[in-house]
Amino acid sequence: MMPAAAIRNLLLRRLLQLLLMAWAIGTITFVLVRSLPGDMAYRIAAERYGDDAITTAAAASVRQELGLDVPAWQHYLNWLLELVQLNLGNSLVSGDPVIHNLQHQLSYTLALVFAGLLVSLLLAIPIGLLAGFKANRGADHLSLLASTLIRAQPVFSVGLLLIFLLAMNIQWLPVAGFGELKHLILPALTLGICMAAVSSRIIRNSTVDVTRSAYYQFARVKGLSRWHTFVHHGVRNISVPVVAYLGIQTVMLIEGVIMIESLFAWPGIGHALSHAIFSRDVPMIQGAALLMGMLFVVINALVDAICLWLDPRLQLSASTSNNASPTNSTGKKTAQEASL
Amino acid sequence: MTPLIDVSGLTIRSASQPLMQPLALTLHAGRPLTILGETGSGKSLLAQAIMGLLPDGLHSDGDVCIQGQRLSTSERQALWGKQLAMLPQEPARALDPTMASQQQVSEVHQLVLQHTPEQSQQRSAESLQSLGLVNDGDKIPSQLSGGMAQRLAFAAATAAGAQIVLADEPTKGLDASRRNDVCRLLRQHIERSPERHGLLTITHDVDVARQLGGDIIVMRKGEILERGSAEQVLNQPSSDYARQLIAAAPSNWPNGLFEQPVPIPSKLLLETRGLGKQRGGRQLFGSLNLQLAEGEILGLCGDSGSGKSTLGDVLLGLVSADSGDIHWHTRVQRWQKLKLYQEPPAAFADGVALGQLIDDVIQLHGLAHQQVAPLLEALSLDASLLERPSNEVSGGELQRIALLRALLMRPKLLIADEPTSRLDPVSARDVTVLMTRALRAAHCSAVFISHDLDQLRHSCDRVLQLSEGQLHPIG
Repeated sequence: MMPAAAIRNLLLRRLLQLLLMAWAIGTITFVLVRSLPGDMAYRIAAERYGDDAITTAAAASVRQELGLDVPAWQHYLNWLLELVQLNLGNSLVSGDPVIHNLQHQLSYTLALVFAGLLVSLLLAIPIGLLAGFKANRGADHLSLLASTLIRAQPVFSVGLLLIFLLAMNIQWLPVAGFGELKHLILPALTLGICMAAVSSRIIRNSTVDVTRSAYYQFARVKGLSRWHTFVHHGVRNISVPVVAYLGIQTVMLIEGVIMIESLFAWPGIGHALSHAIFSRDVPMIQGAALLMGMLFVVINALVDAICLWLDPRLQLSASTSNNASPTNSTGKKTAQEASL
Repeated sequence: MTPLIDVSGLTIRSASQPLMQPLALTLHAGRPLTILGETGSGKSLLAQAIMGLLPDGLHSDGDVCIQGQRLSTSERQALWGKQLAMLPQEPARALDPTMASQQQVSEVHQLVLQHTPEQSQQRSAESLQSLGLVNDGDKIPSQLSGGMAQRLAFAAATAAGAQIVLADEPTKGLDASRRNDVCRLLRQHIERSPERHGLLTITHDVDVARQLGGDIIVMRKGEILERGSAEQVLNQPSSDYARQLIAAAPSNWPNGLFEQPVPIPSKLLLETRGLGKQRGGRQLFGSLNLQLAEGEILGLCGDSGSGKSTLGDVLLGLVSADSGDIHWHTRVQRWQKLKLYQEPPAAFADGVALGQLIDDVIQLHGLAHQQVAPLLEALSLDASLLERPSNEVSGGELQRIALLRALLMRPKLLIADEPTSRLDPVSARDVTVLMTRALRAAHCSAVFISHDLDQLRHSCDRVLQLSEGQLHPIG
């Protein structure tokens, strides 16, 4: 099968998966919200108007707003119908349509995700390659130590350290906020460093495997220079497990985005989600969770498409079995091999 | 005439100990030189030392002259491809798994010889054509058979025009016909330009040494035991070891080595109907119909990559078939279908006494401990071996202990997957003899997988060859 056709098939399958995923996440959040203990309407009204100002009328209006006054199945069908029309309801806090808020926040989150990814690659590729080529020597041990230290603490603690260091001590960068490019630097750096802590080790392990392989040595014996061997036989073969791992790392990415956006007051979806949870803004929670889930599927689909494009072996198995899932075949192995 | 390679006083050592006695050898153009000896005798290190390709932690001392010039390791590395070429031991692993076949050859023309992309494409297409790979340029290595990978590796290794070819176990894992193809390929390299080209081959296979001719050096444990012309060494060996080595080659086994097969009762153990299996995008076999009688020892040969091992795994139920089914004529439990692996250490836990591992099996299945002693005797094993862990016994002994452990379970079917290919010729012969004897005594059906047709012919009731997805009986 040609790569283009294989990639198209994969993306079509993933689109189907995306729809199923959207339905599943939506239904789960719906069930969870319906089954919250206590009278939801009173709780939300209390949040909104303050504990002293609750009246039965206020609770009733909330109840109607959320559709809690109709039977669950009818409520579910209404909700599903609106979801199909991309109507996620209105925020209970601001009253704006949720979809409108999310569109706005998505652009900020994507900016953070791509900047973080860029930082992580800029750090992880040189460090991983260096550690791989000098495996089990000083540079390698140092990078393992640094990775372990960073990965051993939660994302927000790395962020706090960077704030102390770069924003408060030497005051190069703003502590938080948004609007200018300089506001993006600290959050992106935090996200990038946390991801690079693991992916640099994956690159290191992959580099060791490839440079010690029989085919890498054979390329040198054929007469290729060290550089040509690296360019023609190293890069692609090192990349395959690394890219597959990036798909697995998406989980960490989403988790990191929620913490980092809250820490730096970065107005993305993660920030919105945590705020929505604190203020019991149910439609907003549903919308943000939905979008994060979809982001997860989209990033994974992109990663799988790149894997397929990189590795002709996967194109072969994609043409023989209709169940190609690059991250499952190569990614699992990488995760096991990761020395972290 | 200046010799192509002139080595004197060459030693190889690790940090703690010397691995090879000081050694001298001379390779002349037009006259092949073959180093013959068992695996683990330091032969491969010798080739790597000449190339300047020793693994980390090993060092060589002594003089290596290439075409009359004494060169350091890094100077020899600069000759790679253009003057010095080395054929890899396992070509399937030496080819880049993600690169199309032809590109692995054409990149040498382009990057090493600085040809234009068009020229490189044309040259590489020509060399693929001359090796019968004309339609395989776009395939990646996993789509190639063992023989095809071998030829492609040869084309890639010699693409930059090296005069001197070092071949390290070039026939490992190949069946007889493929082995002869490789020998022909190597001879052609010399014949193309006898006044310039040289060939240094390292092998454990007496037949390869015979086919290549020229001179032979017999080596064991880093020491040269004998050297001389091929006719002289192979026909009138002067050292005991050379005599043993030649006698251990399956083609030289005497006819009475194995007990005559008893007439097989017609009761079938299993039959397969239309068995098919694909792997890595390649159809290994399409519709195999195979019958195995109770107590029968069936030999299965074929190239590496032809699907022999997969067929074995399908029969064991370790891998499911894509199509067809296996019909068992008697009830066989899961633990009565067992496998003997190619690399014996892979079948044993590290660092635990072997006796402990055997006891575990006995306990788990409620077997009688008295069974062990007679099996030890039948397989001519010393009971004291069981006190050691797996890394302290030899490969041949470990394989026999693996067989003992399997026989304890009173298996109905044993798949022996290349059980002797990692052993030196002498222990390979002993394991083969003892294994077939023990299998007959236990009335256990077996499929004996090997790439060595002679070995199977001597030891099995009948031999089938798996090639192009079909089973062919071999008389």
